[in-house]
Amino acid sequence: MALPSNVEPSVLHNLAKHAPGVESAFMKKIREQSMEALNRSPFPHRKMEDWRFTDLKPITRTEFVSMDEAGIRPAIDVEKYYIPESDRSRLVFINGEYQEKYSSIGGLGKGVTVGNLADHLDDKEVEEYLNKLVNYENDPFTHYNGLMFTDGSYIHLEKGAKAEAPIHVLNLYTDSVKPYVSTPRMLVVAEEESDVTIIEDHIGLSDNKYMTIPVCEIKVKQKAHIHHARIVRDSLEAVHVSRPIAYVEKNSEYHSYTITLGAKLSRNEPKVIQEDEEVDFTLDGLVLIDGEQIADTHSTMDHRFSHAESHQLHKVVVNGKAHSIFNGKIFVRRDAQKIDSFQENRNLLLSLDGLVNTKPQLEIFADDVLCSHGATVGQLDAEEVFYLQSRGMTEEKAKEVLTYAFALETIENIKVNSVHQLLIDEVYRYTKANNVDKVTA
Amino acid sequence: MLEIKDLHVVVEGENEEILKGVNLKVNKGEIHAIMGPNGSGKSTLAKVAAGHPEYEVTKGDIIYEGESVLEMDPDERAHAGIFLAFQYPVEVPGVTNSTLLRESYNTIAASRGREELDPLEFQDYIQDKLELVQMKPEFLERAVNTGFSGGEKKRNEIFQMAVLQPQLSLLDETDSGLDIDALKIVADGINKMHGEDDAIVLITHYQRLLNYIVPDYVHVMIGGKIVKSGGKDLALQLEEKGYDWLESYATVNGEAN
Repeated sequence: MALPSNVEPSVLHNLAKHAPGVESAFMKKIREQSMEALNRSPFPHRKMEDWRFTDLKPITRTEFVSMDEAGIRPAIDVEKYYIPESDRSRLVFINGEYQEKYSSIGGLGKGVTVGNLADHLDDKEVEEYLNKLVNYENDPFTHYNGLMFTDGSYIHLEKGAKAEAPIHVLNLYTDSVKPYVSTPRMLVVAEEESDVTIIEDHIGLSDNKYMTIPVCEIKVKQKAHIHHARIVRDSLEAVHVSRPIAYVEKNSEYHSYTITLGAKLSRNEPKVIQEDEEVDFTLDGLVLIDGEQIADTHSTMDHRFSHAESHQLHKVVVNGKAHSIFNGKIFVRRDAQKIDSFQENRNLLLSLDGLVNTKPQLEIFADDVLCSHGATVGQLDAEEVFYLQSRGMTEEKAKEVLTYAFALETIENIKVNSVHQLLIDEVYRYTKANNVDKVTA
Repeated sequence: MLEIKDLHVVVEGENEEILKGVNLKVNKGEIHAIMGPNGSGKSTLAKVAAGHPEYEVTKGDIIYEGESVLEMDPDERAHAGIFLAFQYPVEVPGVTNSTLLRESYNTIAASRGREELDPLEFQDYIQDKLELVQMKPEFLERAVNTGFSGGEKKRNEIFQMAVLQPQLSLLDETDSGLDIDALKIVADGINKMHGEDDAIVLITHYQRLLNYIVPDYVHVMIGGKIVKSGGKDLALQLEEKGYDWLESYATVNGEAN
């Protein structure tokens, strides 16, 4: 179904001809729309404002091939990545493909539907929202996902339904002979007064090159609550480009925490869009990178109505030659009064060769709002290191403790115990593995 | 126990001397008070003795228990029994008081030949110490100094001192920021801790603290030097006359301070 492209073809445009066929008219339409949009969406380059700091070589210098040509190796030790709280509320995908035998979806109680999108194409909410909520103009990654996905997570909560356990969406990426591109998809619809916690996990099982492009659409209806933790533990050679978008209705809450530990290049573009008054949302992030990793977050918080409370704490620790980029857009539309919005990007630079670019971007058209924002880039404080040393800790240990303390704040909000513990261990491992240069005075 | 000999100190990378030849001898069982106006070098002296990396010793020596400590890292000095109560205690979010203290206690215990304590034993051990400075047990589970008031931070320093049982305690303006009740509690705790085998150096602006902790010796520091030493009466003289009458001592050797 390849159409003539209007833009210079990129790897995504070239791979488009491998789009898997679909039967339903509904999916066919999504494919057509995605193809058409892909063909008018140029691949990003550094002359574009939103991409000027991001080194795209991990994509452009890699020869990605279709899944069929990649020589996919089997997944190993899948059970190792399960979390006990989600023993009966787990969806497993390997390279984007749904795995019924590893998934377990019986433990969520009344009114909660969880499964593979491909099995729910006739559900009225799927027809109503799938590919309708996603809104990334001229973004070839989003449209490529729309063109390629067949399976995906579908989570639906009926009015008043409370998920009895956190839902673990486990995305695993296997080793392969050649680099491939995976397109995980997720649709979450929380009806009025419902409540759910979602752990979205991305794990590379080996150290191979691959690219994953997760697209996630979320609808939070009146008085519904969603707690969404996203953990990027991709291979250190991988590319992770994610587009999670959430729409929040009256009196609803959406709290998202993205923890980025893996991937050579990650580009996360979360968006939250306010659809009515009295909402409360969070877009927190923790990034721990080292070596030559690049972690880029371009977020949007769009306040369109009065009375919203929003919170964004983006914490970053950079070691080695790693590079962090943060661009936090906050829109407050003209009639959106009484907005209380907090944004802070705090960067801890542990090495001389690390790099941080940060840009809070506030566009406020209302006059009765409270928007605080700040960005800091710093090293470990020499006085703090000395304090801990004077209490008997070695310099190395003191730096470990302080880095750990810096990172901890963001993961404190992860409500699922085993995931919280896992992240504490990851933070600890990161600080431990650090051969921190002498960065203090 | 401690002998400071002709100590000259600059801020690392700078030329101006902050300490210009300090001499001080402290024996076991003694309490010394170092007084002086702002910027006289009192706090620097304490930080240098504890090994603060910001300062460089250009001349002289600090001998502790017969050995020079100048090449020792701050943690090694802590292991040897030196303790600094900070003028401005540092906040460490994410690390609870009890975690820090148990870690500190055990590393110091290991190097001083004391028995290490497991978490339960440590809980027992720490109870008495809490009472010593009248701190509530809740403090143990709070992040170190995070959100503490100025007075709570100071009290926490003395609590740490009680837990770690140092041999030489350097208390840098522990009295500032304490109201009179808290000052009495802290002073009382310090008096109870002090014995024949340890020594305390109090650094303070004011005579007030010395009403509660009676020093064996009082030293006056001006312009990076100790210009006068005496008994506890010296502190009273200072209270009465201020520091001005001592300014001449600072220039006696022919250099302006």
